[in-house]
Amino acid sequence: MLIINCPYCGPRDQSEFSNGGEAHVKRPDGSKEIGDREWGEYVFIRANPKGLFYERWVHTHGCRKWFNCVRDTSTDEILVTYKLDEKKPNLNDFKSVVKTPSGEPEVGSGNFTVEK
Amino acid sequence: MKSINLKENQFIQFHQKISFKFDGVKYFGYKGDTIASALLRNNINLVGRSFKYHRPRGIYTCGIEEPNALVQIISEYSEPNTRATIKKIYEGMEIESQNRWPSLENDFGRINNLFSPIFTAGFYYKTFMGPHKKFWKNLYEPLIRRAAGLGKPPKDFKGISNHIHHNVDVTIIGGGLNGLLAAKSFINSNYDVLLIDFEEQLGGIINNSNKISLIDNKEPKVWLKETIQEIEDSKNIKILKNTLVTTYNYINHLVAIEDRFVGSKPIEGKVNSTLHKIRTGHTILCNGHIERFLSFQNNDLPGIMLSSSFEKYMCRYGLAPSKEPVIFSNNSNSNSLVYSLIKAGLKPKAYIDSRSGEGIEPNLFDLIRKNDVPLYTNSQIKGAFGNKKIEKILVEDSSGALNEIKCDCLCLSGGINPDVHLFTQSKGLLDWDEKDLTYKPSKPFQPTITLGSASGQFNFDNLNSDVNEKLKTFKVKKLDVKLELNTNTKYHIEKLWEVSPQKKSLWAKSFIDLQNDVTTKDIRQAITEGFDRIEHLKRYTTNSMGTDQGKISSINALGIVSDLLDKKVNEVGTTIYRPPYAPLSFSAIAGRNCYEFYDPERKSPIHSWHLKNGAIFEDVGQWKRPWYFQINKDESMHDAVQRESKNVRENAGILDGSTLGKIEIKGEDALEFMNLIYTNSFTKMKQGSARYALMLGEDGMVKDDGIICKISDQHFIATTTTGGAATVLGCMEEYAQTEWPNLKVFMNSITEQYATFNISGPKTREIMKKAFPNINFSNEEFPFMTFQFHEFNGIPIRILRASFTGELGYEIYIPSNSAPKIWDNIQSVGKEFGLAPYGTEAMHLLRAEKGYIIVGQDTDGSITPIDLGLSWMIGKSKKDFLGKRSLTRSDTIRKDRKQLVGIIPSNKADKLEEGQHIILDKEIKSPVPMLGHITSCYYSSTLGHDFALAVIKNGHSMIGTKAYASTSSMITTGVDIVKPVFYDEDNKRLVS
Repeated sequence: MLIINCPYCGPRDQSEFSNGGEAHVKRPDGSKEIGDREWGEYVFIRANPKGLFYERWVHTHGCRKWFNCVRDTSTDEILVTYKLDEKKPNLNDFKSVVKTPSGEPEVGSGNFTVEK
Repeated sequence: MKSINLKENQFIQFHQKISFKFDGVKYFGYKGDTIASALLRNNINLVGRSFKYHRPRGIYTCGIEEPNALVQIISEYSEPNTRATIKKIYEGMEIESQNRWPSLENDFGRINNLFSPIFTAGFYYKTFMGPHKKFWKNLYEPLIRRAAGLGKPPKDFKGISNHIHHNVDVTIIGGGLNGLLAAKSFINSNYDVLLIDFEEQLGGIINNSNKISLIDNKEPKVWLKETIQEIEDSKNIKILKNTLVTTYNYINHLVAIEDRFVGSKPIEGKVNSTLHKIRTGHTILCNGHIERFLSFQNNDLPGIMLSSSFEKYMCRYGLAPSKEPVIFSNNSNSNSLVYSLIKAGLKPKAYIDSRSGEGIEPNLFDLIRKNDVPLYTNSQIKGAFGNKKIEKILVEDSSGALNEIKCDCLCLSGGINPDVHLFTQSKGLLDWDEKDLTYKPSKPFQPTITLGSASGQFNFDNLNSDVNEKLKTFKVKKLDVKLELNTNTKYHIEKLWEVSPQKKSLWAKSFIDLQNDVTTKDIRQAITEGFDRIEHLKRYTTNSMGTDQGKISSINALGIVSDLLDKKVNEVGTTIYRPPYAPLSFSAIAGRNCYEFYDPERKSPIHSWHLKNGAIFEDVGQWKRPWYFQINKDESMHDAVQRESKNVRENAGILDGSTLGKIEIKGEDALEFMNLIYTNSFTKMKQGSARYALMLGEDGMVKDDGIICKISDQHFIATTTTGGAATVLGCMEEYAQTEWPNLKVFMNSITEQYATFNISGPKTREIMKKAFPNINFSNEEFPFMTFQFHEFNGIPIRILRASFTGELGYEIYIPSNSAPKIWDNIQSVGKEFGLAPYGTEAMHLLRAEKGYIIVGQDTDGSITPIDLGLSWMIGKSKKDFLGKRSLTRSDTIRKDRKQLVGIIPSNKADKLEEGQHIILDKEIKSPVPMLGHITSCYYSSTLGHDFALAVIKNGHSMIGTKAYASTSSMITTGVDIVKPVFYDEDNKRLVS
C-alpha cells in the first residue's frame, strides 16, 4: 500500500484515495463542432505507459479533493503530487528514478532477478 | 528416542506441571514448553503422517521452519497446521495429529508408500486425464483431496483479531544479538524505534545456544538482562514480543502478527491476535539464519533433527531429546552442539563430518578426542533405517568402508542460510556466496539494512564494527561491545547437498522437501522432462511449496539442480519468496471487518416500524428495504405483492423511500452546473417545480436518473437512485473541480438527513388533506411535478407531487428524527381510506406497468436515452452537457441498437421470465440470432397476465410485430412486441 501525499491534507494511507486515471486529458469544448474521432479519443483512449505517468487521484475518504500526481507505474512510487491548477512537472526531472524493481523487461513483467 | 530433562532455566519451570492431550491421551509438560518440547519430554516423536506417502514423521526443528510437526489444535477452534515447535502448551490443551486414518500408529494411507514409485513428479497431471473431463471434477479431485493434505479446515470462524497501525522512523526486526545491538545504538536517540521479536524472550542465539561465552566480560545472560532493561527504559523504543513480521511491502510497509495468548487458551470474544501494520522510514533486518538439512535415504525418519534445533531444546527448554545423538554435518555450525552436549554431561554417539580432516576446526578435534567421541571425517551417511523411528544409520567412512551405527537420534547440519525471505519480499537482490554456499542479501531496493547472520555475516569477530558501520546513516552513538566465544569464530562449510543411497531401489527415498514429500528423484525426473528452469521445477515437483516454504531445504534443491545442470547456483537463480513469511490466518487479516462490521447495514428511520409490521427485507446496496409486507405468516410473496399493488391502484399505498439518494446543490452558478450535469434543461423551469432528469456518462449511456427540484437558480435538490447516490455525488464533485472550476457551486449529500414517504393511489389526496389539514392539495394549488415547503407541528417538511406508480402521488421529505411520528400519523389517518404499506417489489411492478425504467435493471451501461425512447428529455438547445456529443456518434445513432419495448405473451396464459432471450423464429435452430432480452417481468393482477420490458435490436420499429421468447427447454413462447407502457397511457390518473 502506498502513502499518498494529498496536497491539501498531507501524507495519508492509500486506502483513503481513489484513482482517477490519466491526468491532463482535456475535455473538448462542447460548444464547438468536433469529429467523432476526436471526441472518441477523449472518451475512450488513455495512455498506459510502463514508467512515469501523470495521474489523477481523489481523496475520497478525506477532503474529497481531486489532485494530480506523477507515478512510476513500474514501481508504484508516487514522485510528486500537485493541485489541479498547478503546472504539470517536467518528466525529465525524474530521469534518475529506478525503472523496475527486479530489473524486469521494459514491457511486460517477469521474475528476472538481475541488476536493476 | 529417550529424552532427559536437564537443568531448569528462566524459560522453563519444572515445578509447574501442565497437562494436555495428544490424540486423546493425557500427557504432562512444563510451563514454557512448546507442544514439540512437551512431546519430546514424553518420548513421543511420531507426530504426524506425511502429505503424499503418509510416512511417519517426527519433530525436525525447534522453530518456525518446521516442515513436519504440524498439528491440529482441537481446543482452539480446531486450528489446523499449527507448528508444534512454536505453539506453547497450556493446561487442558487438546491436540490431534494430522493426515492419518484411523490412527497415527496404524495409518491406512501408508499404502501410498508402497505405490510410491508411481507417485512421482507430475503424477496427477499425467494420470488423471480421462476418460472424460468430468472425471476430474467429480471423481479424481474429491478422492485425491481426501487422501492428501494437511489438517482439516475448522468448521467455525471464531478468532477475533484487531489491527494496530504504527508510524515509526526505524523498525528492527529480530531481537537477537544483532537486533539488541542495533536497538542499543538507538537508546535515547531522536528516532522512534520499533523492536519486533517473534519470541516471548529477546536474545535469540544467546538463549538458543552455547556459542557465546562472554559479552563485555559478563555472562551472556547477565548482559542480556541488562541490555533489555536499558532498551525497555528508553522512551523512544517500543518492543513488540510474540510478533512475527510476515510481510515486507513497498514503501517500507510491514505487516506483523502478534499472538496475544502465548501459553494460554484464547478467551472467546477477546482479541486473540493483533495485526500490526507498520510504516517505517528504515527497516533493520536482524532476523538471523536458518539451518539446512541434508538429503540421504530416509532422511525423514522420526528421530532425525537439525543440530541447532537439538541445541535449542537443550538451552531453551532444559531438555535433551536424546542422551546420545549422532551428529552429521558438513560445516562448523554444529560445533557448539558437541560443546553443549559435553557441557551437559552427555556425549554424542558419533560425530560424522563430510569435511576432510584439514577442514575441521582444531578445537573441535580436541573436544572430540578428549571425550572419546567416535569421529568419522570425510564420511557420509548413506541412509537411516528403522520402523517409525530411527534405529540405525549406515556410514561410509573415508576409506569407503560401511559402518552400521545403532542410534535413536541423528542431528543434521547442512549449513546455514541468512533468512532472506523478508529481504527479497522488499525486492532486494541476492547474490550467491561460493565460499559460504548460500544466497546472501546484496542490493536492497528500499531503505533496508541487514545485520548479522541475516546479512550473511556468519562470523562473530566483526559484529560490533559492522553494526556501527551500517548504522552510520543515523545520528546514534557508536557501540563498543566485546564478544568471546566458546567455539570457533569462523564459519566453514564444504559442499554436500545429497548422499546417494547404498542400494538402488524404486522405494529408496531421499527427501528434498519434507512437507510436500518431494524427493531428489523427483527433481531429477523434472529436469529430464525439461522442467529445468527453477520456477518451472518448483511448480512441477511442488518443491518448497508447502506452508513452510521449504525453509530448511530450498537452497539444497538449488544446489542439487546446479550440479545436475552443471551450472553455477547464481545462474540457476532462486525462486521468488512471496509473502507471507509464515501462514497468516484469514481472521487476522479480516480484523474487525467481519460479521456486522463486514459491510455496514443502513436502515431507514422507519426501520423499526417495518420490523413490527411483517416486512420482509431486501438488500439494496447497503440499505435494508422492505421488499413486501406479510399480513400473516401464510401469505406468499406473490400474494403479498399482488395485494399491495392492487391496493395502490384501488385505494392508496405508502412506500418508505428514505433510501433514495438526495443531493443539495447551491451556489451562484448552480443552474449552469445542473444544465451541464443532466440532459434536461433547467433554465426555463419555474421555481418550485420539479423535473424527471437523466444523467449520462461521457459515452452517452444512461448512468442515473432522478427528480430535480428547483428552489431557485442558485439552489436545487436532486434525488438519485438508492444505489447510485455516492457515484452521482462523486461525479458532480469531480466535474465541479476538474472541468468547470470556474463555476461557483457546492454540493452535499443530504440522504440521511431526510426521510422520504411516497404515497400514491386514487385516495391519496383525501389522506393528505386529513394528515396535513393546513395544506391545499387541489390540482390548481398543487399541480403535478411541483413542490412546496410547509411546517407541520413545528416540523419543516417538503412535499413534492410526483409519482413512480402512475397514480396520483406525493413524496414527503421530513427531517429523519421527526419522520417516525409523521409516518405513524399518516398510517392512522389513512386507515379509513384503505392505506397500506407496500414494498419495493410492488413498486417495481407498478412502475413497470407504466413503463418507467429502473437504471441498472432495464439499462446496463450500454443504453442511451434515445434507446429508451426518452429523446424528449434531452435539452437539444443546450450547448453542452455530460455525454452530449456521444449521442450523435456513429455508433449511438445506429438504427439497430437495442431499444426498450414492451412484451406481452401472445397467449395471455403463458408465463415470461426475466433474462429470457427474444428471438424471431419459433423453431430453435442454431445458430439462433438473438434480438435482445427481457429486463423486467411481472404478473399484473390489474392486467390479468404477465408482461415485460425488454431491450431488443431495432425494437422501436418492431412494435406491433410478433416474436418468441426462448426458454431453458427447446420450447419457445410466442410474444407480442408492444409500446413499453401497459397502463394509463394518457397519464390521466397521474394528473387527476
